[in-house]
Amino acid sequence: MTQTLQDMATSGRMEIRDLSITYRKPKSDEVFTAVDGVSLTIEKGSFVTIVGSSGCGKSTLLLAMAGLIPKASGVITLGGLEVTKPGRDRAMVFQDASLLPWRTVHGNVRFALELQRWKRDDIDERALRYVRMVGLGAFADYHPHQLSGGMRQRVNIARALCVDPDVLLMDEPFGALDAQTREVMCDELLRIWERDKKTAVFVTHAIDEAIFLGDRVVVMGRNPGHVRDVIEIDLPRPRTNAMLDSAAFVEYRRRLREYIAADLAALQMVEALV
Amino acid sequence: MMAAILRRPAPICATISFLFILAIWQAAVDFGFVKAFFISSPSRVALELVRQAKSGEIFTNLSVTLYEFIVGLIFAVVIGGFLGLMASWSETVQHILDPFIWFKYSSPTIAFYPMFVAWLGLGEVTIIVMAFLFAVTPIYANTLSGIKNTDPDLIRAAISFGANRRDLFFKVSLPASAPLLIAGLRLAVGRALTGVVAAELFGAAAGLGYSMSYYGQKLRTTEMMASLVVIMILGVIFTQGLAALEARAGSWRTGPGR
Repeated sequence: MTQTLQDMATSGRMEIRDLSITYRKPKSDEVFTAVDGVSLTIEKGSFVTIVGSSGCGKSTLLLAMAGLIPKASGVITLGGLEVTKPGRDRAMVFQDASLLPWRTVHGNVRFALELQRWKRDDIDERALRYVRMVGLGAFADYHPHQLSGGMRQRVNIARALCVDPDVLLMDEPFGALDAQTREVMCDELLRIWERDKKTAVFVTHAIDEAIFLGDRVVVMGRNPGHVRDVIEIDLPRPRTNAMLDSAAFVEYRRRLREYIAADLAALQMVEALV
Repeated sequence: MMAAILRRPAPICATISFLFILAIWQAAVDFGFVKAFFISSPSRVALELVRQAKSGEIFTNLSVTLYEFIVGLIFAVVIGGFLGLMASWSETVQHILDPFIWFKYSSPTIAFYPMFVAWLGLGEVTIIVMAFLFAVTPIYANTLSGIKNTDPDLIRAAISFGANRRDLFFKVSLPASAPLLIAGLRLAVGRALTGVVAAELFGAAAGLGYSMSYYGQKLRTTEMMASLVVIMILGVIFTQGLAALEARAGSWRTGPGR
């Protein structure tokens, strides 16, 4: 495939300008603003994490990047092209329960290739390669209900990566896992990501996870959802668990906690007033 | 041997209780507690089945009943399935169909029989219509709820990978509702058989139900029971076969992987 220099420079770079997203509450004319006036640039090949307390619109923002929900105003572009619907340039990892229970691990990874109309003759092999890459080679013929939560999320990641997207969108993928499994999965995710450094956007409510994974952490606040700050994480890669206790990490953690605490305090004040 | 019985007691218990009833029935007649005229006996029914098999009577009746049953069932599957799909795609269609489904659910289907006799006369067509009416409701209801209640998370994941409506139907909704569709078919099979036999009892020239009512009126208990046995075997074969298929289709929910 030939690409122009222009394409090479912008593919995988995501631009969000003045994005607002509103929901109409069911059975009423009341409009609820989930995301308000968000602008964000996600550089090609960077790992951006979005953190915030629940209800701050971080998942909504990610769904808009995926093209799964309509925008009220503003623009999202990827590689210079406007995002209006799901496309082959993006792939999504969901929190849970998005694997087809009647398909095997291999069949679930294959599913994404089938939907994107990959050539029939090599999708079996390609799917298997990604199953092996996430360490599930021995479980290729298992069904989702036979796997642990961590293994199911590995399948989810393999499914998203195998279609070779420019951007990987992850919506709290480890949210339902226990603390130990989460740490293992973060290490594993970075190991896989380091291979070809695809642009990655990772939504989480866990502060440590956001710092450990990200080149930049986007902090969101609520009522309505907006970007409070973008923090550059100046820790070397590959990241190691030893860094979790480093002075720099502790300082990042303190700053992020302050933001989240302020957000929650503001919420409590609003509730007290109401 | 004993351990195996203890591990899988259900089929053993069922066989023992079944043979026990047969033995009591046979003994009650053989030792003269009840007249064979009233309840016949297992050995008499078995001999009668052999006689009917030799004369071909049983196959004539069986083929007529099977034909009416299968045609009625096919209409139920095609029409019920089609309407169920339409209703799962459009709430408007569902609401348009709602009153008819309520009528159908809340009234005994057999009550429609005299009406169809008046319109279509006694015989094959009316019997097929009755089989259809009995079977169509579970097909419609299970198709509708199976397709409509597909896990929205699966739909959303498929859309995120670029699935179109066709993909969503064939690769997500249809396989997701397969166990429910087969359950609907299993219910429909049992009900279609009920419809055929009930309709044959009242007005037919051949068929197992006709045979039962013909011999029943002449108080020939053995011949009547022979037909009843064939109907029961037919029902058991169909529903058990579909139950096995249903378990296989839903094995991903609980069973071991392959």
